[in-house]
Amino acid sequence: MCDMPWNKSGFFEGEVSLHEGLKMAKTDNGIRICQGLLILGNVVIGMCGIALTAECIFFVSDPHGLYPLLEATENNDIYAAAWIGIFVGFALLALSILGIVGVMKSSKTLLLVYIILMLITYAFEMASCITAATHRDFLTPNLFLKQMLERYMKSDTDNNNDKQMTEGVTKTWDNLMLQNQCCGVHGPLDWQEYTSAFRMTHNDADYPWPHNCCVMNTRSEPINLDGCKLGVPGFYNSNGCYDAISGPLNRQAWGVAWFGFAILCWTFCVLLGTMFYWSRIAY
Amino acid sequence: MELLGVLLALAGMDAAAGLALLPYVPRVAPGAMPGKVTATTFVLERPRCIFDPFANASDAVWLAVAFADASAAFKNPTSSAEVPPYEGLPTARAYMTLQMAAAAYGCSAPGAAVLRVGGDTACHGRAPCNGPLPSPGPYRVKFLLMGCGGPKAETKWSDPILLRRARSLSTIDPTPARRSSTAVVIAAILASLGAALAMAVLGAVGTQLCVPLCRRGLGAHLPYRTHHVPPALPHTLPPACVCGCTPRPPGPCPTK
Repeated sequence: MCDMPWNKSGFFEGEVSLHEGLKMAKTDNGIRICQGLLILGNVVIGMCGIALTAECIFFVSDPHGLYPLLEATENNDIYAAAWIGIFVGFALLALSILGIVGVMKSSKTLLLVYIILMLITYAFEMASCITAATHRDFLTPNLFLKQMLERYMKSDTDNNNDKQMTEGVTKTWDNLMLQNQCCGVHGPLDWQEYTSAFRMTHNDADYPWPHNCCVMNTRSEPINLDGCKLGVPGFYNSNGCYDAISGPLNRQAWGVAWFGFAILCWTFCVLLGTMFYWSRIAY
Repeated sequence: MELLGVLLALAGMDAAAGLALLPYVPRVAPGAMPGKVTATTFVLERPRCIFDPFANASDAVWLAVAFADASAAFKNPTSSAEVPPYEGLPTARAYMTLQMAAAAYGCSAPGAAVLRVGGDTACHGRAPCNGPLPSPGPYRVKFLLMGCGGPKAETKWSDPILLRRARSLSTIDPTPARRSSTAVVIAAILASLGAALAMAVLGAVGTQLCVPLCRRGLGAHLPYRTHHVPPALPHTLPPACVCGCTPRPPGPCPTK
């Protein structure tokens, strides 16, 4: 009955553990909730990473064949943004798995590695989003108009690079005009209102605009060449190709920019939660 | 005598002309056709029925094209041999082209409702040549009905027709009008999120490094012990208590 030793006796131990047990149960619940939320956040990040990779692979594969136009403007940064998106998507998937493992094991080292690598990935994805959003603004109708007039069917090319870009632009425009039944950027009068490289080799009387602007029959010949030269409705394509160009490019730029933005907002929250969890883990 | 000669010559000219002036004014074809006036060609409406009272089967209708400032000085040729050719346009400032049988302008004549001036790029020196026009003009045109003996009927001169003049493509300015607000919003929000993350990381790492240094005053988990300062009391369990007694600090047994 003398002063109790400070090591626990059986009864003492019981009462103390009850108090402590309640406290631990509460923090245990809190930890579990925190872990659950972080794991959920990382699962979402992983799935978004896969989606981002798939979307960017689709854009880079250039299903509409518009890449030569951008290459010739020497402003193909929205393709660079899509390439970065592919690798960021893979990184997000791998890091989300690392994060899930780190949270389940409550390992401070793993989570520190996770946070640092996520920050690097975050920086890359930020660059990709901002690049896609800002360079979209450069793709104006006048840009494509000037390029088309300068390069379509240009005959005297300076060097190999110039020749390749010219061939790319010519082929792309021919495909565009045939497949979308359109002519020029705003319309066939683009060829009349401005001088062009096309005009150097094709005289105005025979070719007021390229013959690809004419309505074609099944054998790829104009159904009425004279009607096409005059501009008789029904024998030529009167609408411009700008919509056929800007539609896919806009979707690409905004797809990369906005989806990346959404992923980054979510990742921001998950990273904050992870840092909070990491700082509360005891070694 | 000389005066008589001049009078006879004038009368002869009039008789030789025998010229009927038709009230028709040639005009560029109506209708929405973007190619009706280009840089080197233009399209006229084909007049119908107007030559029928005057035309024989062997007559031909020509189109006279002259620069607008030279149309007043234009003299009708007296025969088909004296028709000014296409190649003489820069010097004579007029030429005649589009020779067609008068029947082509009949009331029920088949064929297109328009005539394209300047559409033939393959005629070289072969008269009559409907070659492309060399300059933007402006031009005036009139139709001339020519028989074996000379012109029989003519229309009025048209209004001046100005051809297109292409602007240089270097006048096209490809720079965008202004930065779109969406790009600015995305860039601003992302930059601030990135900065917040960086600061959060620095804060978290800094707190972790700081813990052993910052908690010196509380005395817990000190890495050193000195001789003078006794080791601090660790956090302890609440004072021991036996069921039924009040908690008391350790000490020697109270003498009971």
